[in-house]
Amino acid sequence: MSRLTRRDFLMTTAAAGLAASFAGSAGAATAAPKKGGTLLASWGGFEPQALFVPAGGGSSPYFTATKVHERLFRLTSELKFEPELALEIKPAADFRSYTIKLRDNVKWHDGKPFTADDVVYNAMEYWKPISGGVSLNALQGAEAVDPLTVVLKFSAPVPEFFLKSVLAGKAGLVIAKHIYAGSNIITNPINNTPVGTGPYKVKEWVRGSHVEFLRNDNYWAPGLPYVDRLVIRWWRDPASRSAAFEAGQLDIATFNPIPPPEITRLTAGGKFIAETKGYSNSAWVTTVEFNQRREIFKKREVRQALMQAIDRDFIADTVFFGRAHPSVGAIASSNTIFFTKDVQAYPFDVKKAGAMLDAAGYPIKSGSRFKLSLVSAGWFEENIKIGQYVKQAFEDLSIDVELTVPDRATSLKRIYTDYDYDVAISNNSGGIELIPTTTQYYTTDGIVKGAAFRNATGYSNPKMDDIVAKMTVETDEAKRIELAHAFDSLAATDIPILPMVDLEPVTIARSDVRNHSTAADFMGDSWSGVWLDR
Amino acid sequence: MRRIVLRRLAQIIPLILGVIVLNFALIHLAPGSLFDVMTSEQQVTDPAMLDQLRHTYGVDQPVTVQLFKYIWSVMHLDLGYSYRQNAPVLDVIMQQLPATVILMLAAMAIALLVGLTAGVVASVKVNTIWDNLISLGAVFFFAAPSFWIGIMMTVLFSVKLGWFPVGGMRKIGTDYGALRDALDVMYHLVLPATALGLFYAATYARVMRASMLEVFRLDFVRTARAKGLSGGRVILAHVMRNALLPIVTLLGLQLGTMLGGSVVIEAVFSWPGIGSLLFDSVMSRNYPMVLGVLVLGSLLVAVSNATVDLVYLRLDPRIRAR
Repeated sequence: MSRLTRRDFLMTTAAAGLAASFAGSAGAATAAPKKGGTLLASWGGFEPQALFVPAGGGSSPYFTATKVHERLFRLTSELKFEPELALEIKPAADFRSYTIKLRDNVKWHDGKPFTADDVVYNAMEYWKPISGGVSLNALQGAEAVDPLTVVLKFSAPVPEFFLKSVLAGKAGLVIAKHIYAGSNIITNPINNTPVGTGPYKVKEWVRGSHVEFLRNDNYWAPGLPYVDRLVIRWWRDPASRSAAFEAGQLDIATFNPIPPPEITRLTAGGKFIAETKGYSNSAWVTTVEFNQRREIFKKREVRQALMQAIDRDFIADTVFFGRAHPSVGAIASSNTIFFTKDVQAYPFDVKKAGAMLDAAGYPIKSGSRFKLSLVSAGWFEENIKIGQYVKQAFEDLSIDVELTVPDRATSLKRIYTDYDYDVAISNNSGGIELIPTTTQYYTTDGIVKGAAFRNATGYSNPKMDDIVAKMTVETDEAKRIELAHAFDSLAATDIPILPMVDLEPVTIARSDVRNHSTAADFMGDSWSGVWLDR
Repeated sequence: MRRIVLRRLAQIIPLILGVIVLNFALIHLAPGSLFDVMTSEQQVTDPAMLDQLRHTYGVDQPVTVQLFKYIWSVMHLDLGYSYRQNAPVLDVIMQQLPATVILMLAAMAIALLVGLTAGVVASVKVNTIWDNLISLGAVFFFAAPSFWIGIMMTVLFSVKLGWFPVGGMRKIGTDYGALRDALDVMYHLVLPATALGLFYAATYARVMRASMLEVFRLDFVRTARAKGLSGGRVILAHVMRNALLPIVTLLGLQLGTMLGGSVVIEAVFSWPGIGSLLFDSVMSRNYPMVLGVLVLGSLLVAVSNATVDLVYLRLDPRIRAR
């Protein structure tokens, strides 16, 4: 039952904590991995609605589904594609078709072999219509040449990096044809007990508490996974997670599991580490959006002025306790492939902002320039504070601000369906590949009423559309990077919507958990390589 | 007796109809819909896919049609299907309801035990240091937010002393027999049930104290003492039994609120109950799930109120005469 632990709590106030916490690197495998044990995991959010949500479903089902369903490729934290269910992928000379060689001797959890037919089924019945959406618009057909070879055919040239990103991304999970064929994938009850090829099999989901996975003994990678049992458990409260860590009932938790002030205290003793790697393919930002259906915000100078009125260092340091930094342009700085510093910057400067508003035709009249409604999406705790701060920042410019912080469903409706806001504070997470997740906030075809997390500002610029259209079919990687810089530069100048701060999510882990945070999106990795050094 | 039970049962049907219609209207009046939440979570943006999902979830029909369909299915004892959980509503609720009921009953038991004892002691030792201490404790536990009490208890008893688990209902990854399992659940139940129970105990202690003091002044108590009964017997058999009526009333009222009151405690102790499910369902406008929980909740309240009426009869024979 319970171990009577007697621990001394030396509450050191010395700020030696942070320095010590980043000293132990997570990926450093010092010795031969040990086998066995139970890994207790969690994340900074709540229980999923289903263990696997075929169309995505957000971070929580993605976290659980990826331990069971694998992808053809994975993206490492060094941004290299590694083979997972596929061994290689080769484009044809015209980049309109790709040949994929699959791994041999892979079995589904129910013992049936994984073959090219599964991949064909996924490509045409799952990825294209359900999970991939617009990113696979050009996919025309898939054909199994032999049991281990698939050819994907496209109607237009497809860049290699783009296709690999889709296959290794959130949309690329491979599901079993013999289980799903002929059913509605989205509503199939099997999604609560998914059967995949991954390192872990679902044993039992106790709703409201945890899901227990057992080691898949027939996993294709010999010797993997290392742990016998993986338990993903959910707490609704960050303070409870840090208590669980301290009581030895939690080993690793991703995506800001505990209150920021607690991080220093926990990591001070060397028993826990805070790891920031493993988030580059899921870079979260806090954005500010300007509704250009309103006369005032149609003026670019107004948008630029308002951006200069926001002290983003303050947001990063105070609201996020330093676990964020001011964004540069439209691309997250963790995106080492496409990021560029070479874009219009908006340093905090209230005087200049005021002068710009004067020049734009909005001087202070009887104490105020104009009124605006500020909607801060209430799905993150931090947005409440950011909303309050931005309201004050705008009021310093003599703008009347009406702030609302609605709950999730209301925020979605107001910002992305009814366009009922002047300025909105929202969030998104983008992968390394910019198309379509990042670009659809700026392109004209990104305007879809009622569809969330895309162009809600009404911004439409043929030049922007043209750059993105070119990027979609440009197969030369160097030229693609140039186009991405052109996109970023235009986005930062026109500023229809722009990230304010890049979040720096952290994973908290006991220091005896080894070989974690090795993927570009570790939460969505299969965790086959994680082991316990005890 | 039978008349009371039958009358109560007859009241359940309009009650549940009212619960359904009112909450259906409320949740549809709230901005945003299950469909918005689902599609945004799933990042579905393809218009064709959106239409297909609208049809799948049945939200392409007028709201009134949806409501009548729902009432019709409840009449068939079918609480519908939750597309968010990909499972029948009743299955999901039944997976989580037992945990909440166990927590509720345990908290109630603790609340009654602690509250009644404290109330009786305070009234017997009225205006002494004991009375003041109990009053102070009652004010504290009534005023302190239960999530804070819960977290503080966790920090003290789980983290520092290591006596109790930090949350959950069972030790994960064990296959105990039935008896071991029951003990394990009880062991996990101690902190959450205490945290939830103390809040209610505070109310009971105050009400019990006042009620006891009132009964002490009545003539029949003097008679009992004059008959030469021992002090203890007077207090327990005469005063306490008569002072219990307001407590029973409170208990009946609070059984309903406990279902909701446990949301916070369930969050703090990651207790796998209905609270987090209801919260998530409201936030995602998942109306079949919300209505399912509320329908079952109103059944529970109706049954508990009927039980309270019967307890009245046991406690106070005069009620039967009316």
